[in-house]
Amino acid sequence: MKINQAFLGLLAASTLLLIQSSCQSKEEIFRQQYVVEGMMQYEKHCENCHQKEGSGLKDLYPPLAKTDLWKRLNASQIACIIKNGQKEAILVNQKSYQNYMPGNNKLEALDVAEIVTYLRDKWGNDPRIFSLDSARLALKNCP
Amino acid sequence: MGHKDTVVKNGKVDTVYHQIPSFQFLNQDSTWVSDKNYEGKIYVADFFFTSCPTICPKMKTQMLRLYERYAHENQLALLSFSIDPDFDRPHVLKAYASRLQVQSPKWNMVTGEKAKIYELGQKSFMVTAQEDKNEAGGFVHSGAFILVDKQRHVRGIYDGTQEQEVNHLMEDIELLLKEK
Repeated sequence: MKINQAFLGLLAASTLLLIQSSCQSKEEIFRQQYVVEGMMQYEKHCENCHQKEGSGLKDLYPPLAKTDLWKRLNASQIACIIKNGQKEAILVNQKSYQNYMPGNNKLEALDVAEIVTYLRDKWGNDPRIFSLDSARLALKNCP
Repeated sequence: MGHKDTVVKNGKVDTVYHQIPSFQFLNQDSTWVSDKNYEGKIYVADFFFTSCPTICPKMKTQMLRLYERYAHENQLALLSFSIDPDFDRPHVLKAYASRLQVQSPKWNMVTGEKAKIYELGQKSFMVTAQEDKNEAGGFVHSGAFILVDKQRHVRGIYDGTQEQEVNHLMEDIELLLKEK
């Protein structure tokens, strides 16, 4: 009897989930794909230094989570830093980080678009997608 | 671990284990650090470079765990060799160490003649450490942490990029600390 109830409960829950996910708009699914891809790229290219939870490492690598970066920098500026690195000191939460950040020259515009989307979603409280076209334009106009 | 020799003494065969030879390099304070500084100490060594974009940050995150855990354990020290000594001059190491909020002599970061560091790395610490233009950052090196005992014997090699492996290393340190 108990097993039956549990099974019914599970069935109901999964049906609900199915209904909910089928209600997601195409755009939302597209955005989620960007976020997931961005997360994978982050693990590969950014996490070593900035850490999984975006905490950074002491005064060596600046944090990304809970920082003013997302208000101070726009998506295009972030895209340029990801691709080309950061040679000068950068101010994060009013603290200066002077360690040189190497660029990720091998990243394509799509990779950068996905990473920016992921970062803004996770730590910038900004669920907007940073499109491939925007990334291309941003990277073309980097300082 | 490492190369073993045998000697015959009074008709008995004995094994001579590989030992870390003498060395002398400059640390982040521009003072000499040699094997003498590690007499009677256990230490964990690794090979890195400050501008390394790949595994070094992970290694340093793990090394920092050791630094914090054994902050008050005088028998244990940490020793990081730069494999990019031309760039990593003492003042560069100093900036790196202070940004990591760590201090000598508990954690010495050393630099010196490149060939000597590579030779020491490959022959004595048994790790890969050399230049490679095809690698990100320009050098190829392993993420190994090498545990050396008070008799300068290599007692274990661990993957310094993996938290689990470093947990294992800590267990082994505890055992070595109990050795006389």
